[in-house]
Amino acid sequence: MKLKKIDHVGIVVKSLAEGVATFENNFGFRANPAKGGEVPALAMRNAFVPVGECDLEFIEPLSADGPIGKFAAERGEGVFMLSLAVDDISAAVEHLRGLGARVGDPNNGVAFVSMKSTHGVNLQLVQRS
Amino acid sequence: MGVGATHIDHIVISSNDSAATASLFATNLGLEIRRTMSRPGTGAHMEFAKLGEVVLEFGGPPHPVPGAEVKANLWGFVLAVKDMQQAVGSLQTAGYQTSEPRPAVQPGALITAVRGGTHGVPFALIQYNALPIKETAQ
Repeated sequence: MKLKKIDHVGIVVKSLAEGVATFENNFGFRANPAKGGEVPALAMRNAFVPVGECDLEFIEPLSADGPIGKFAAERGEGVFMLSLAVDDISAAVEHLRGLGARVGDPNNGVAFVSMKSTHGVNLQLVQRS
Repeated sequence: MGVGATHIDHIVISSNDSAATASLFATNLGLEIRRTMSRPGTGAHMEFAKLGEVVLEFGGPPHPVPGAEVKANLWGFVLAVKDMQQAVGSLQTAGYQTSEPRPAVQPGALITAVRGGTHGVPFALIQYNALPIKETAQ
């Protein structure tokens, strides 16, 4: 498998508007209006703020039941996930499974690695077209 | 005005056994561990890999507890800035508290911690080429 770069770092916030405003107003970043929105399947909405070749993804849970909501309930706001860009998501998943890692099936170019296979780090693989 | 960040310089993964976590990431993901060191003063064990423009830093205690389950988490990150003085001034004007800039473990770099107001994300600023680099005897 070939890692290309850090794609983005996911940050859970209570309020997407407040989280983005903090980093825009105080740190000089600008959210990318072409990315982000509501993701009902994951009970969240997000916004992406580019920093160099990576993005910061700000994530607001829309429900207490999903993984984002559970993280927020247990740990509050904070760094949630590391997303790594790969050149071939299917090959990456196959490679990791071959090493014994537990990895979800790719869906729309995204696959999640079980935290049981990463010492507890929430890791996502993504293939950008 | 902002801090003038150019990129995420490094992302810190904290572990109770940073060598084991770095090794796991290296083996499974193909990361190359390019540097290993003990942090001066604390003795914390640190390992570094680079992916694109970002360094992944694995940090943990100098002596992991033998046999303990290895647990790691994403801790925070460090933004590279062009001008530390400007960046700190801008944050302080916005009401932030920052630590006194101090030499980083990276030669010639200054680092400053940003305290609070970051939605639970510990992070710091680093400026490279901020200090003269001391030459060491061969």
